[in-house]
Amino acid sequence: MKRRDFIKQSTLASSLFFVPSFVKAFENVATTKLGYKKLVIIQLAGGNDGLNTIIPYTNDLYYKNRPSLAISKKNVLKVSDEIGFHKNLAPLKNLYDQGNLTIINNVGYPNPNRSHFRSTDIWQSASNSSEYLTTGWLGRYIDQYGKAPYTGIELDDSLSLILKGKNINGIATRNPKILYANTETPYFKKLINYQTEEHLSEHNLGYLYKTVIDAKSSAKYIFEKTNTFKSKMEYPKNPFGKQLKTTAEFINSHIESKVYYVSMGGFDTHASQATKQAKLLKTYSEAIAVFVEDLKKNDTFKDTLIITFSEFGRRVKQNAGGGTDHGAANNVFIIGDALNKKGFYNEMPNLDQLDKNGDLIHTVDFRSVYATVLDKWLAVDDSKILNKSFNKLHFI
Amino acid sequence: MKQNSMEQKHIQHLYNRAGFGINYKILNSIKSKSKKEIVSNLFSNAQKNVTLNIDISEFEIFKTKSEKQLKLELGREKIQELKKKSRKKIRELNYAWVKRFSENDTVLREKMTLFWANVFVCRDNSILHIHQYNNVLRENSLGNFSCFVKAISKEPSMIKYLNLKQSVQKKPNENFARELMELFTLGVGNYKEEDIKESARAFTGYNFKKDGTFYLRENRHDFSEKTFFGKTGNFNGDDIIDIILEQRQCAKFICTKVYTYFINPKIDENRLEEITAVFYKNYDINHLMYYIFNSDWYYNEENIGVKIKSPIELLVGIQTTIPFTFEKKQRLSYLQKMMGQILFYPVNVAGWKGGRNWIDCNTLMFRMKLAALLLNNAVINLEEKGNFEDSFDKYYKSTKKRKKYIKTVVNWNDFEKNYGQLSAIELQDLLITSTLDKDTQNLLDNLKIQSNKEFCVQLMSIPEYQLC
Repeated sequence: MKRRDFIKQSTLASSLFFVPSFVKAFENVATTKLGYKKLVIIQLAGGNDGLNTIIPYTNDLYYKNRPSLAISKKNVLKVSDEIGFHKNLAPLKNLYDQGNLTIINNVGYPNPNRSHFRSTDIWQSASNSSEYLTTGWLGRYIDQYGKAPYTGIELDDSLSLILKGKNINGIATRNPKILYANTETPYFKKLINYQTEEHLSEHNLGYLYKTVIDAKSSAKYIFEKTNTFKSKMEYPKNPFGKQLKTTAEFINSHIESKVYYVSMGGFDTHASQATKQAKLLKTYSEAIAVFVEDLKKNDTFKDTLIITFSEFGRRVKQNAGGGTDHGAANNVFIIGDALNKKGFYNEMPNLDQLDKNGDLIHTVDFRSVYATVLDKWLAVDDSKILNKSFNKLHFI
Repeated sequence: MKQNSMEQKHIQHLYNRAGFGINYKILNSIKSKSKKEIVSNLFSNAQKNVTLNIDISEFEIFKTKSEKQLKLELGREKIQELKKKSRKKIRELNYAWVKRFSENDTVLREKMTLFWANVFVCRDNSILHIHQYNNVLRENSLGNFSCFVKAISKEPSMIKYLNLKQSVQKKPNENFARELMELFTLGVGNYKEEDIKESARAFTGYNFKKDGTFYLRENRHDFSEKTFFGKTGNFNGDDIIDIILEQRQCAKFICTKVYTYFINPKIDENRLEEITAVFYKNYDINHLMYYIFNSDWYYNEENIGVKIKSPIELLVGIQTTIPFTFEKKQRLSYLQKMMGQILFYPVNVAGWKGGRNWIDCNTLMFRMKLAALLLNNAVINLEEKGNFEDSFDKYYKSTKKRKKYIKTVVNWNDFEKNYGQLSAIELQDLLITSTLDKDTQNLLDNLKIQSNKEFCVQLMSIPEYQLC
C-alpha cells in the first residue's frame, strides 16, 4: 500500500504495520490500552490571589495584612466558621456542596521563584526550582504512554512547555477546523500525498517528515472525530468559556485524547485587585459550572478530572496600589465526580509563619499532586514521568 | 573558474552557518575565490565591531539621577510610565537586530553575538542595560573568552538577573556562581557544591553605578580566603573565572556548544577533542572559529544541511534570498512568538535548547507556511498567546475573528534580477542544502513551474528548507 492510500484510510491506531521501525520506536505505545480517564489542567495565568479566593474570614492576621483589600465577613460565602468562598464563586461553592470539589491548600515547592515565566516553567515541567527541563510533565506522559500528538491538546494556537515531550509533543488548537484547514492547503496536501514511508530516517529530516505526517494525521483525527458533535449547553460568551466549550466537545465526542491544557489569563493583579479579581473569579466559576454540567449530561464527568492551579499565589500583605505582589504557595482546586476527600484536603494557610518575603510556605509539593493523578487517575508509573518518586495524596 | 575555487555548495554551507544564507548576487561575486580567501574575507569583515544602536535618549536621565531624585522631580507616575516605555523599547532593539542580521558585511560577528546571547543568557526590562549588554556580547563575540566571561559578570543586566546585587559578604547569594559553572562554563556535574559556596563569596559586593559602569562595594565584598578547585587564596571574581578556565572541561563545554550550533547536532568525539585542544590553548574565539571554518572536514557531506534552523535563521534566511520589509514592524514580534524564539526574551537562563526542540506539530506547520505568509499574503488564522501581565481582555485580545495578513513590501525586482533566469534545479540547489527526500524530489519534478517567484516560495515550503 502506498503512503497516500494509507493516509486516506488512516485510523492511526491500526497503522503500526506501515510505519517504519524508527517511527515505531518514537511512538513507544503502551502495551495496554490507555483507560477512558481524561485530565483537564487549567492555569490561572498571572498568579491568582488564593487568599482572597478562599477566605479565612475570622483570621485577624488576614485583616491586619490587608487593611483595604481583605474581604469582609459579610461578603463571603461561608462554608465553615472560619472559611468562606469569594462571593463571585457561587457556582464553585455549588460544586463544593455537591462533593465535586477538593481544595488543597499551601501547594508549592522549595525555594519558590517569583517570576511568572520561571515559575510557570517549574509547574509545567515539574522540575526543582534549580533545574531546567525542556519537556513538560504531560509531554512526558504523551511520550511514554500516548500514541500521537492528539493524546494531549492545548486549547490555544501554540504549544506550551507542559505538553512538550522528547519525541512526541501534544498539539495545540483553539479551533480544530482551522487546524485541519492548515494541513489541507493544496500544496501541503500534495507534499504529504507524495510521501512513501521508505524514506523516513532517524535523522533530522526524518524527524521533520514524521512531524509533518503527525500534524496532518492528528489534525484530521481531531477534526473528523469532533466535527459532528456540538455542545448544547449555553456557555458564557467569553474566550475562556469558548475554550472550555471546545474541551467539552472534544471529551464528549469520545476522542482518544487524554489530557487537556487551558490557560486563562488576567490574574496578575498588582493594582486595583478587588474589582479585577472579582470579575475574573466570576468568569472562571461560571464557565466551570457549565463545563461540569455539560460533562454530567453526557455522562463523561465520571471519567474527567479537572485541576486548577496558578504559577504562584500572592503576597499576604497588600501593596500600596490596592493590589498584591507575586507570592509563593497557593491553593489548587480538584474537581471530579468520585473524590476521596471532598471539601478541604488540608489546613488553611498559616499566616503566622511566613517566609522571609512575607509569603505563604508550602506544605504540599505540587509534584505530589501530579504523582497522585498519574498513579491513581491515569494509572501510569508516576516516577517514570516525574523522574523521581513523590508522596501520594489521597484526594482521589 | 580557478582550479582551487570553492565549491558552490560549500560556500552556501559556510554562509548558512556563519551567517543566514547567501544571496545569489554575492555568491556569484565570490565563487571564483578559494576557500581560504572566502573564509579570510568573512573574518576580516567581522573584525570591525559595529555597535547596535537605537534612539534611547529619553531614558538617559536614569543615567544621571537616582530613582529617588527622579521621583521628586517627575513624580511616581511619570517614572512608572517611563519604565513601561523602556520595556516596550526592547522590542525596537529586537527589530533593529533582526534588520542587522540581513546586512551582509557584519554577518559573522552578528551570528556569533546571537550564539553567545544563548550561552550567556540574560533578560532585563531596562532598555539602557540590556542594550549595553547586547553590545558587550557583540564586542566580545570573537574575542578572548576569559575577558568575555569577566565582562559579563560585571554587566548591570547580569548583576540584576542572577542576583549578584543582593549578594553580600554576610549573606552571599549563590545564583550567579551556580549558573556561571552550570550553564556558562563547565556544565552540570563538573564542580562541587562546595565550589559554588566558596566562589559565591568572591562575587559578593558586585554592583553598578547609575551610568551602567561596574563598581565593587568594598564594604560588602568578602576579602577573606576561599578554597576553590583545590586552590586557596583571597580570590576575587576574576580570579575565580581564571581558575574555572584552567579546567579543560571549560574549553570542552564551550566547544560542545559551538559544535552543535555551527558544525553538526551529532557530535563526533574526535573532532570535538580536536577543536577543544585548539580552544584550550588560549581561549581565542576568533582563532577557534577560523580553525573550524577553514578545516576540510567542515565541508564533509555529513555536516551539510543537517541542522534545524532556528526561527531567526529561518526568517532571515528567507529575507536573504528575497529582500522584503514589514509594513508594521510589530508583526516581527508575532512571528517570533509563534515560532518560539523572541530575541531578548529567552525562555529561562538555560536558553533555547534548539534543534528538534524548535519543532512540534504547530510550529512546524507555521514554519512551513512562513514564506507564503511573508511573500504571498497568505491569511493568518492563528493567534499568539497573551502575556502574564495582561488583563483578561488583553490576554485574549487577538482571538476575534478577523482576516489578517503580514503586510510586507517585497522587492521582487531584486529577486528577478538575481534569480529570474535560473533553471529549476539551479534555484533548488541555491535554496536547499539538505539531501532531498526522494518523494519530495519527485513532487518537485512534477510541479508545473509558473515562475521562479512561485517556485521559490514552494521550495521554501518543503521540510528540507527547515534545515541548513
